[in-house]
Amino acid sequence: MRIEIRDLNFTYPTGVEALRGISLTIESGEQVAIVGQNGAGKTTLVKHLNGLLQPTSGTVHVGDWNTKEHSVAKMARRVGYVFQNPDEQLFSKNVGTEVAFGPRNLGMSAEQAERQIKDALTMAELSDKTETNPYDLSPTWRKMVALASVIAMDTNIVIFDEPTTGQDAASSARIANVIKVLRERGKTVITITHDIDFCAENFERVIAMSQGQILLDGKANDVLGQDEILATTYVDPPQLTRLGKKLGFKQTVRNEEEFLGELKK
Amino acid sequence: MAIIELKNVSYKYPLTDSPALKNINLQVNEGEFVALIGPNGAGKSTLCYTIAGFVPHFFKGEISGTVEVAGSESSKSNLHEWVLNVGLAFQNPFNQISGAKYTVFEELAFGLENIGVPRDEMIQRVNDAMKLTGISDLADRSPYSLSGGQQQRVALTSILVMQPKVLVLDEPTSQMDPIGTREVFGVIRAMAERGMTVLMAEHKVEWIANFADRVVALHDGEILLEGTPQDVLTSDLLVEKAFGISRYTSVARKAKELGLWKGNRLPVTLEEAMDGFAR
Amino acid sequence: MNSFSMYVARDSGLHKLHPLTKGLLTLLLLVSGLTLPGNWTGYFLVLLVITPLAVWGKVFRSFLRIVWGISLPFILSVVIIQSLFWGSGTPIFEYWIFAPKVEGALFAVISVGRIILVMAGFILFAMTTRPDTLMISLKQVGVPSSLAYIIVTTLQIIPRFQSKASTILDAQRSRGLETDGNVFVRARAVVPIILPLVLGSLVEVEERAIAIEARGFNSNKKETSLIEIPDSNAQVFFRKFFVLLMVLSILARIAWQLLN
Repeated sequence: MRIEIRDLNFTYPTGVEALRGISLTIESGEQVAIVGQNGAGKTTLVKHLNGLLQPTSGTVHVGDWNTKEHSVAKMARRVGYVFQNPDEQLFSKNVGTEVAFGPRNLGMSAEQAERQIKDALTMAELSDKTETNPYDLSPTWRKMVALASVIAMDTNIVIFDEPTTGQDAASSARIANVIKVLRERGKTVITITHDIDFCAENFERVIAMSQGQILLDGKANDVLGQDEILATTYVDPPQLTRLGKKLGFKQTVRNEEEFLGELKK
Repeated sequence: MAIIELKNVSYKYPLTDSPALKNINLQVNEGEFVALIGPNGAGKSTLCYTIAGFVPHFFKGEISGTVEVAGSESSKSNLHEWVLNVGLAFQNPFNQISGAKYTVFEELAFGLENIGVPRDEMIQRVNDAMKLTGISDLADRSPYSLSGGQQQRVALTSILVMQPKVLVLDEPTSQMDPIGTREVFGVIRAMAERGMTVLMAEHKVEWIANFADRVVALHDGEILLEGTPQDVLTSDLLVEKAFGISRYTSVARKAKELGLWKGNRLPVTLEEAMDGFAR
Repeated sequence: MNSFSMYVARDSGLHKLHPLTKGLLTLLLLVSGLTLPGNWTGYFLVLLVITPLAVWGKVFRSFLRIVWGISLPFILSVVIIQSLFWGSGTPIFEYWIFAPKVEGALFAVISVGRIILVMAGFILFAMTTRPDTLMISLKQVGVPSSLAYIIVTTLQIIPRFQSKASTILDAQRSRGLETDGNVFVRARAVVPIILPLVLGSLVEVEERAIAIEARGFNSNKKETSLIEIPDSNAQVFFRKFFVLLMVLSILARIAWQLLN
């Protein structure tokens, strides 16, 4: 399911021009990370994908659906959005019910919903916590519940807004694993993140934004190697990329494998 | 001279089965910068709250052992006296804004009003604190109109202005963007350089390596390891227990196995990594 | 300005009044509106007293917008409930389960007047009074710190709640929750929005309690104040006068009830 954005402009009611002439295509199954300083327009852009925001001018298509023609609840059949703060979402008496909320809203059959929920709980390592009240869990695990409740909707496209903020290494690894499984299933994954190392290790395509426009858009290795441009939107390169550069590597590296590969030469 | 001393401290939150802290023995000397690392749930926040007195005075629960700061013992003090010795700041800057004050200047004076500092002294102390942390230009702004990094700097300053003997920080940059992180670490560094005793729970390993005198690794309520950043952050034990480690350390470890690491010890910072690979 | 407080800074006479003067005046208006006889008292007080004050305070347009925005849901629910549940009386029309009666409609109108009075009074007060000066003046007359703090931060809570509720709404809609449609659709949407709002706020409240404790809030030392609040003998007199009027109108109401 392809995402097609053409000449998107968006101005908030306050008069702030948040997006200026964005054109972008994301093919089915792509893994895209969007980086850039706060205020660059990352969240504004991504909120157009499920209709939370409507373009001031320009169009956004998700598959054959024009976002102007469908409610947010309807768009939720194709686009899942994991918000940054799980506490702004969780309300059920236990994890199981919470994760079932999305599938139920989408009108899935009981068997299909059952399957999806079980699957999502396994992916998020929550299978042993289905009877627990989400608010009895630590913030780290509440985040996994919020994640599972969107995964369970089995949408073609999943958006993550700052998934690793405040998480420890084990939890980030868990989330990276979820993204890997989604990739294997051919889902399109889009993430907004400040964690540039997490970005480098899990996403093949990186879009850097600044002041409502796209500065860079391309393969992770290409984009993450452009220190100077990234610096204008306050993005530091990933640790291994930096090290590789300092050691004079010919290729830009973005994870351990690539680093060791270059080192051997 | 130990300014913070925990002896055999164990603690259980109310209505829980397992202890959050098990037999903690910890000493922090005056002027030291101690970093606290560990997975979420290891007890970092609990330890911070314990030194700050909120465990057990605010959270109740069962505590054993002694907690001493600057000669006073926690169990023998009232929380409202204890907070004057130990300043506490935590992750979410928004929740640290009192909500009762309209400008940053007044927000900073809030604590001083509470403890009855005379007006002239209040104004002096707030001005001095703002200069130290570099937020004088925010004085007339509303605390709610600030960015996350600015709010956190205001929160830190509002604690500093109380002139505590010791500063406890629970993951102050966890929710910051890169700019905010840089700003907040800048303030913390300034305070440390002036001789403030700091205990900071943190995940950002690279920064700790550059500024901490000592690192304490907490796991499942117990102290797993303690020592210099170099020793602790490159320890194999951290890998075993799934701690987050610097990618420099991790890749150097793998390179070592392949015979491609030329340094003596594993690196934690960029400079150390450059050094070890370039030889 | 500060988007999380209803306070709007203006250079007006109303703003310069002592917080307690304004607070007592607001209470007086409320009490009079509820105790004085007449079905239209609420409306009169809003039009003849509160509105001119809003103009004096130079906040009229935003005041109007906010009062309308906040009162509307209450007004709608009162009108709907009265249409559905008013017992016997003269019917106006009948459609499905809606059978409003004249008596019900009249009651709704009176209630709406009172609702607007309460909303308008408090909103104007919040818009023209700095929360911190209110807190200081409350403490100066002996209100305990914790109570003063709760009152003041509650004034700031409403806009904060609105912003939070909006984010929660977005999150739940993104999970397929329908919010546009008939009454039943909207009713189903209430719990998934209110609960996270309440539960999430509890977490915040605990952290804030720790933060203010860490800044000496429960210290047993005598408090000092950074800000000095301007006052005048005239205002001191008027405050006592307002309290007197409130007591009198309550007594008058009680007497009137007993005699009838």
